[in-house]
Amino acid sequence: MTALWSKISAVLPLNEAQFPLQFTDKVESSVVDVLKRSRQQLYGDASSASRVLNAQIILDISWEKLNTGTWRDVDKEWRRVYSYGCLFKVAALCREDPSPETIQQAIRTCDMGLLMGAAIMDNILHVLIQILQVEVKKDAAEEPQTEHVLSKKAKMESPHVPVIKPTMAVPRIKCPSLESFKTNYLLPLRPVVLEGVIDHWPALNEHPWSIEYLRSVAGCRTVPVELGSRYTDEEWSQTLMTVGEFIDQYILTKDGVKDVGYLAQHQLFDQIPGLREDIRIPDYCCLGEGDEDDITVNAWFGPGGTVSPLHQDPQHNFLAQVVGSKYIRLYSPEDTDKLYPHQSQLLHNTSQVEVENPDEERFPGFAEAPYQECVLQPGDVLFIPVRHWHYVRSLQLSFSVSFWWS
Amino acid sequence: MNWFGFGFNAFGQIAAHDKLIKREGSAAEEVKVVIPTDIGRHVDECEGGTGCKVNIYRKNSRIKASWSRRASLHSEGDGCLCVTSAGFGAGVSGVSVLEESRGCRDALICERHLTLAFPDRTELWSLEQNDKTLIWSMEIKPEAETTGPPLKLPLVPGGYVATKLPFYRSLSPQLRAVSLALGAEHAVLLSATGAVYTWGLGSHGQLGHGGLTSEEEPRAVEALWGMPMSCVATGGWHSACISAGGDLYMWGWNESGQLGLPSQTLRKEQQRRNKQPAVNRDASSSACKEQQEGEKQEEVFISIQAFPALLDIPESCEFSTVSCGSRHTAAVTTTGDLYTWGWGEYGQLGHRTLLSSDEPQCVDFFKEKGVCVVDVVCGAWNTFAAVAKEEVVQS
Repeated sequence: MTALWSKISAVLPLNEAQFPLQFTDKVESSVVDVLKRSRQQLYGDASSASRVLNAQIILDISWEKLNTGTWRDVDKEWRRVYSYGCLFKVAALCREDPSPETIQQAIRTCDMGLLMGAAIMDNILHVLIQILQVEVKKDAAEEPQTEHVLSKKAKMESPHVPVIKPTMAVPRIKCPSLESFKTNYLLPLRPVVLEGVIDHWPALNEHPWSIEYLRSVAGCRTVPVELGSRYTDEEWSQTLMTVGEFIDQYILTKDGVKDVGYLAQHQLFDQIPGLREDIRIPDYCCLGEGDEDDITVNAWFGPGGTVSPLHQDPQHNFLAQVVGSKYIRLYSPEDTDKLYPHQSQLLHNTSQVEVENPDEERFPGFAEAPYQECVLQPGDVLFIPVRHWHYVRSLQLSFSVSFWWS
Repeated sequence: MNWFGFGFNAFGQIAAHDKLIKREGSAAEEVKVVIPTDIGRHVDECEGGTGCKVNIYRKNSRIKASWSRRASLHSEGDGCLCVTSAGFGAGVSGVSVLEESRGCRDALICERHLTLAFPDRTELWSLEQNDKTLIWSMEIKPEAETTGPPLKLPLVPGGYVATKLPFYRSLSPQLRAVSLALGAEHAVLLSATGAVYTWGLGSHGQLGHGGLTSEEEPRAVEALWGMPMSCVATGGWHSACISAGGDLYMWGWNESGQLGLPSQTLRKEQQRRNKQPAVNRDASSSACKEQQEGEKQEEVFISIQAFPALLDIPESCEFSTVSCGSRHTAAVTTTGDLYTWGWGEYGQLGHRTLLSSDEPQCVDFFKEKGVCVVDVVCGAWNTFAAVAKEEVVQS
């Protein structure tokens, strides 16, 4: 037995009898049969090809179920089945002394389970990834350290930094008390930049989020990436790649101008608990009615030049800037009629207007809409009240964390 | 008529496992049947209800398939007898005769149920447990059926049988439905006038109205207006129909090339495959490859086709029937050729590979044997083709 397999089997149930496979009747008995076959193979004899094949059947059938109907309506049971498929596939891949490529494939499989599946067996996919990541680091340590990473320069745009007109600047305030924030900003739904409230984050101290740090913590992890400068564009698409590939292809300059890629609106911190430890939930969120578990934490990591078109969200937002700077424009929901939202159901929360280059003929009312603006610097946290329209453009390599709360 | 099956066989629905093992001996071979296999030869005998051996392979059988099962309908006097594959890891006697089906006119199989249409009633049998249970039935009044040939399932007088509750759903008599195909979340109906109606979820363009919105009620596919259709089919997220003139139209999701339109996913896979052995290539061939890749950048890929698109194949041919798997399509021409395209990872395209294809390809197996394909029925991940054997061989 290889060292890796003994580590993996140590976190799996001791035997078939202790391995739970309980599903509601949403899952057809034929599918449960395949799951049971995989479980049996895990503890019994089977060829590696047969193990992988059985796991793939589970992944393929649950993938079809995950794509049937709208994502919201997909039964959680099928997301659990998908996670089991990932677990069985990882076990099959790592059984016999796997190559570095196979380990990478196993990590990718775990990530797909974390992205599309639901938690099973005390988050066993997280546990497996930690074991596998140690293997990757071992392999990397054996290779001679090359300097190429450091010699490459991060994409430095010559940013078109808008001049913020003082009359329109979002007010700034240093560490207000909970009470004063509530009275002056939360209740009247007034945007404000909070200063000094995330200075204690490890991401800004012990573990500054440099490219090298992000690569070492998350380089081999698969994440969704948006391609195209804005999500309203015709050619906009989403793809999956590792954080390392994303850094190489979209963050570090190679030659000439490349397409824009944006690791946007992704719950990275649920996927990579190591990074979650570098940030904190802002205290002001306790003023909301929801539980801490109801707060959605998203990562926004990309080069200069990424644009989030003018849009609104159904919750309050604390947008915390960790690396780089961003230009932000805010419009009140009262002026929605001057912002020309898209008609379609899918984009009705998004304005048709290109904020920094508006088509005045098509959208004559837009110029009259009053707005506020700011440039967020590392350490700044912008409070965007619920339904306030916001437009965001990164001025350079940027990493922000958003907290949606109510 | 002889039936051949290929593709997904984890449940022995094409051929019982140990028969395949004897032939090839590998685990993948038994789950993925890549060479069309005569299923008649594998199910010619089984234990009947009384314990005596009955020959259940007969001419003019019909095949119905779900993801994990196959049902064969064998003519017997006025009615039919239904025989189903037994399930996961089925051994030698991988089939069971469903005595309760004796005298049925038509049958339909889905993952959970077997629907049986009798002249006077429709029955829904659960397949979830090993013991057969009748979970729903509906009487059919004698006067309900007046003229024309008996309705084919899932159509029943006045409506149709759905795969989940409520099982009976009514249809407006004005639609004059002659054929109905149910996809994962959508339905395609053929009217006696040759018009096509669709409804249900439209998220992947599977309704053919040009948008991605859903429709509660049957809505005519206007793009096909004025072209009478003769046959409709649905896959998981795609739809197909054949015009009276033999043209094949398709719409919906092209994720695996199931519409026969250029698929980006497939092109990327192809490029990845081509890259792997590239180490041994000389410089000139790799330069050539780069150039080709440059050209491919110009290529337009279709992910979702929200209006019906005419299937374009180089050979000029007319189609007589079409069937869709969850992510693949199979169609038969009037000259007896079988074409398949779309998802192929379980061997469901019958091209002796596990590759997907976004271009319709003729299944050479039947051509080489000199047999005419006359019918095709897709399960979710497999394909069953009927051949009229003697004709061609004797001529």
